[in-house]
Amino acid sequence: MTTAVLDRPDTRPRPRHRLLSHRARQAAARGPLAGTMVFTVATVLLLVGSVPVVDRALVLSGLALAFGALAVAWVARLPAAAPASLAVPVAHVAATGLLYAGTAAPTTLFLLLGPVWALSAHPRRRGVPIAVAGTAAVLLVPQLLDAPLAASATLPGALVLGPLVVAAGSVAVNANTRRAVAQAQAIARLQGERATLLAQVQSRADELDTASRILAARAQTMTSVIDAVTEQSIIGTDRDGTIRVWNPGAEKMLGVPRPDVVRTRSILDFHLPEELTAAAEDGGSPTGLDALVHVARENGSDVRDWTYVAADGRHRTVSVAITARSDDRGAHAGWNFVGTDMTEVRATERMKDQFVSLISHELRTPLSSILGYLELVMDDEDQPLTEEQRQYLSTVERNAQRLLRLVGDLLFTAQVESGRFTLQPAEVDLAGVVRAAEETARVAAANAGVQIVVDVPDEGLVVSGDAVRLGQACDNLVSNAVKFTPAGGRVDLVLRPAWRTPDGEVVDVIAPDAVPVALLSVADTGMGIPAGEQGQMFTRFFRSSNAQRNAVPGVGLGLTITKAITTAHGGTLGLESSEGVGTTFTMTLPVSLAG
Amino acid sequence: MDPALHSPDGGHHAAAAATGRTRVLVADDEDDIRRLVSLAVRKAGCEVVASAPDGTAALAAARAELPGLAVLDVSMPGATGLEVCAALREDPATAGIRILLLSAGASPDEVARGLSAGADAYLAKPFTVAGLVQQVRALAVREPVA
Repeated sequence: MTTAVLDRPDTRPRPRHRLLSHRARQAAARGPLAGTMVFTVATVLLLVGSVPVVDRALVLSGLALAFGALAVAWVARLPAAAPASLAVPVAHVAATGLLYAGTAAPTTLFLLLGPVWALSAHPRRRGVPIAVAGTAAVLLVPQLLDAPLAASATLPGALVLGPLVVAAGSVAVNANTRRAVAQAQAIARLQGERATLLAQVQSRADELDTASRILAARAQTMTSVIDAVTEQSIIGTDRDGTIRVWNPGAEKMLGVPRPDVVRTRSILDFHLPEELTAAAEDGGSPTGLDALVHVARENGSDVRDWTYVAADGRHRTVSVAITARSDDRGAHAGWNFVGTDMTEVRATERMKDQFVSLISHELRTPLSSILGYLELVMDDEDQPLTEEQRQYLSTVERNAQRLLRLVGDLLFTAQVESGRFTLQPAEVDLAGVVRAAEETARVAAANAGVQIVVDVPDEGLVVSGDAVRLGQACDNLVSNAVKFTPAGGRVDLVLRPAWRTPDGEVVDVIAPDAVPVALLSVADTGMGIPAGEQGQMFTRFFRSSNAQRNAVPGVGLGLTITKAITTAHGGTLGLESSEGVGTTFTMTLPVSLAG
Repeated sequence: MDPALHSPDGGHHAAAAATGRTRVLVADDEDDIRRLVSLAVRKAGCEVVASAPDGTAALAAARAELPGLAVLDVSMPGATGLEVCAALREDPATAGIRILLLSAGASPDEVARGLSAGADAYLAKPFTVAGLVQQVRALAVREPVA
């Protein structure tokens, strides 16, 4: 492509002085030719005696001067405009004067015509006075040299009239010459400008050609990329929703070939009208295209599920990312709709949800019976149990409760995953939550020989959140710490106010843009978590190698749930651990501004 | 046919009312739970006048017996506890019956739906017998509307 530019013929304007000097060389070549001929004829006439020679010395010196100047002119080839080029006609005027004096023949005055013409036509204006003065001098030469007088030369009027005629003619010739030179220069300048313009036009045409080829190549690349997407629909529309781009993925998803939709159909033809109406009501926008794009218009982009209606009438649930498209000037040109068919995925999700809630119901119902009747038996005052019976039934009850917690955890995890997890916000005193968690774990800790130390502010620390869920999160952290700490160990529960900076760092003193938080740390002197596993601790069903090796009971949901609860409250949960030393979980929750 | 459907006192409302014990309808599709709830109701000092294994039977029994309190399971065949609750509230004859809903689902949404359907109280399964006794007592103490 670049060769098109590089191979372009050189049409740049040539410098003007080169054109002029070429013409000047032509003039310089012509000038001496005429002068040579005239003086050669004069010499012949003198030799044959047609013109009488009165003073041989003057005639010879005149001829010598004339031919000497011609010889110099032939050799030097002076440019017409050069000041030195005046020298040759001046020499010829002088030579004419000598010949006139040496012959006393007025005929010789014709020899003045050539040099006077050359002086007058000279581009330099000083040629005119030189011609006038020269003519006058030639007419006066015979008298100055006391040469024999010719009849005509005796007329005093001729002395005046001759130079006047010469002067008038010279001025006219010189003016014409100067005009001709100016015109030649203007023409040369225009020609130069024309050449420059032509070159510019050619250069611009080449650039355009290159640019259009690059653009065509880019368009080809874009088209081939879009055409390679066969599993996602890529639909581009004008601002009014008329389809302009329709990729093979859209053809496959909606069953309509590209030629049948581009420029002729609207994106709205493939949407459910009632869904658009509902979206318009929700978003407070007019129905139609506005309902589809108003969120993308406000936020720059929008990803959500829409129902596409395929050519055969089938409904597809499609996750559509909507973005605005701009033209080359940055003006809004239309909309892009990139869709992924989620019909099967959403159906599976619904089935999973139904399955989880069915299982949880089916598991809870027998557990309700087990726990209810156990309670009746154990609390029956009329028929008290033996100590042994009570111990056995307590074991049954404990395991039934454990099963119940597991069902609850599974259901909760499923709710978190499907986004159906809701909080019941209230003002919650975290100090109370921490004390309650200690109470819950107290018996288990005592049995395991683990000491729990609680350090909470007496005045309490209020956060905005769901008391039940925060209690659950706190219980999980404390029971984990107790479970993973060997006998003789210790668990420290510390709650204090702190600040969290925008980059997530927790500091004790106020910092710019930091938000007040409640900081809860649960530190144990347990077996610790291997460094390689610390990043996975919040992954559901993940169990650390230490937990498995030491047969610590659990299924790997507690920390997942704790993290989900913390995140839902706008808080953070992190851990620090070293094997054999212990683990510290640190939770931060935004402090309630009302509290 | 569930024998429990037959009212233990043969429909003599006045007799029960005379004893001062609140007459209670118990509805749950699980026999074991229904018996457990009935036990708890009696422990609370109330009288079980009808027990139904599904929503349709529960609605019929409520209209026939006009109990002071109905303890309804939410997920039942026929009509759900929420539907029975709404139907009882619509009918002026049964609108005064106090209603305690029992459900295996304890999400805030379900509680809200239960209460907006007109229930007086809501208890999540699995409940403790002691907790249920306490709830039934609390609702039975109130004077019957009708």
